[in-house]
Amino acid sequence: MLESSSGLVPLQAYLLLAAMLFCIGVWGLINSRNAVRVLMSIELMLNAVNINLMAFSSYIDGDLIRGQVFAVFVITVAAAEAAVGLAILLSLYRNRVTVDMERFNLLRW
Amino acid sequence: MPEMGVFLLATQAMAAPGELLNLALNAGAIAPEGAVLVAMLATLLVDLAGEQAAARWVPPICYAGLGTALVLLAQQWNAPLEPSFLGAFLADNLAIAFRAVVALSTLLSLLISWRYAEQSGAPIGEYAAILLAATLGAMLLCGSTDLVSVFVSLETLSVASYLLAGYMKRDARSSEAALKYLLVGSAAAAVFLYGASLLYGLSGTTSLQAIGIALLTSPTPLAALSLVFVLATVAFKIAAVPFHQWTPDVYEGSPTPVVAFLSVGSKAAGFALALRLLVGCFGAFDTQWKLLFTVLAVLSMTLGNVVALAQTSMKRMLAYSSIGQAGFVMIGLVCGTEDGFAAMVLYMAAYLFMNLGAFACIILFSIRTGSDRISDYAGLYQKDPLITLGLSLCLLSLGGIPPMLGFFGKIYLFFAGWADHQYLLVVVGLVTSVVSIYYYISVIKMMVVKEPKEASDVVKSYPSIQWSTIGMPPLRIALVGCVVVTAVGGILSNPLFQWANSAVAGTPLLQEAIALGSQRSIG
Repeated sequence: MLESSSGLVPLQAYLLLAAMLFCIGVWGLINSRNAVRVLMSIELMLNAVNINLMAFSSYIDGDLIRGQVFAVFVITVAAAEAAVGLAILLSLYRNRVTVDMERFNLLRW
Repeated sequence: MPEMGVFLLATQAMAAPGELLNLALNAGAIAPEGAVLVAMLATLLVDLAGEQAAARWVPPICYAGLGTALVLLAQQWNAPLEPSFLGAFLADNLAIAFRAVVALSTLLSLLISWRYAEQSGAPIGEYAAILLAATLGAMLLCGSTDLVSVFVSLETLSVASYLLAGYMKRDARSSEAALKYLLVGSAAAAVFLYGASLLYGLSGTTSLQAIGIALLTSPTPLAALSLVFVLATVAFKIAAVPFHQWTPDVYEGSPTPVVAFLSVGSKAAGFALALRLLVGCFGAFDTQWKLLFTVLAVLSMTLGNVVALAQTSMKRMLAYSSIGQAGFVMIGLVCGTEDGFAAMVLYMAAYLFMNLGAFACIILFSIRTGSDRISDYAGLYQKDPLITLGLSLCLLSLGGIPPMLGFFGKIYLFFAGWADHQYLLVVVGLVTSVVSIYYYISVIKMMVVKEPKEASDVVKSYPSIQWSTIGMPPLRIALVGCVVVTAVGGILSNPLFQWANSAVAGTPLLQEAIALGSQRSIG
């Protein structure tokens, strides 16, 4: 199964895709003013990691598939994190009636 | 969830399924975490029975769980080492020492939080359960020796910390602190994961030890990149400059007892993670990560202590001072000698008592007056000698004035740094210590020297002192306990020295690194 797929698509292609996805995530994280979009950007970064893990798992670690197990954990924890993130955002929205990052400035550094 | 995680790891780490049955998981190593978990579940169940039952039963359940965890940890001390869950967890002395610091910091944070929670009207059952979940994550993190278990326990700690930071739901500042913490924390976790995925790709394994060996045989530029990614997360967790921006905001916005836990428990777990990852896994990049950490330490000590000078809020000042304190601890990490590691452990233990003592005083003051501005402390000694004395002793200890506990911790760190020729770090440490003494003393001066007529309005209308209300006796116990240990611990610090030294001696990971380091310096 692995041999046939590795003949068609090289490992580097997956890694490049993941790196691009990760960079898009970082870009979104820095540039978004909407807090929900920031959360979505973080999800993109985590999914880039998942692609990395899956690719390594099938090209390098074909017997034990540790990478796939790792990816399952990443997905699970990302779901928990997103739930907590949205809950906190909701409580902040109830207090401030906005999700604009620029206006969350009660605490200043 | 962590249990399930290690079980899955166990099943997939074995090539032949039949062998699994013959292999003991050695689950006894996480018995202390089990006690914390049971206490957490019991707290949640009791919380279902209603607010009154919770107020009555939650504190004893938490004390019992954390007390049991501490006793079980003491029993594990110097026990024969066997990796648990097929290499996902290791209860060496280093892990035990840091887990004890975490458990003790939770216990003290809980003691000082009942009154605060009662007064702010927050339900205490959920609060205690989330704090115990954070403790569980932090304790597991201290002993994790596999990328998957590191990640899962790191996230257990982080997600619970986000919830704690935003616990005062109706306070916009608390929610804002939680959101900022969450966004920065999740981004840091994602960066860590990207580094971890590269490490997995380079070595084909998730065990830290195996990755370390793979990197030693073939250090590549990509491995250096993953070092940077992983190091960024570690620096975020211990709040090293320039990864510190979240700290002052989160410390100012969060409920004060939560800040007490975050500044000690979470930070101790971060340092344990730093030791496991950098010493255990990146031995091949010894020079590089030590250089990076030297820069981080110098920046943290300088910026943390200098910016603290300008603060008007007590919590924010302690936030910057904790950044500076983390910089001091990093000296021990950079040394990589026996003394360096022992000094780290010792300083974390000392920091636990002096910082939590200071927080207990601040909480008591804010319970009585509702303020945490530094100028409001003016003339306090007239009205409340206990807070004045306790806060003075803890702040002097944080500044490193003899004969407090903090002085011995700091002198040991500087001694270890000097012996390892880290002159830059030690000189910066000494200079910034002087700066830190200035702002600590200015608070003490504010409390003690002011004439009664110069006292702040808050102090002039100071309420009469009552110790009988709900939650006050535990607060007093925690306050007095921390202050006594801080004051007397310095004189009787010999057992602590021995404890820190045997923590390092009983950790094969650190011993290997020390042996490697001394070989290099001879060669």
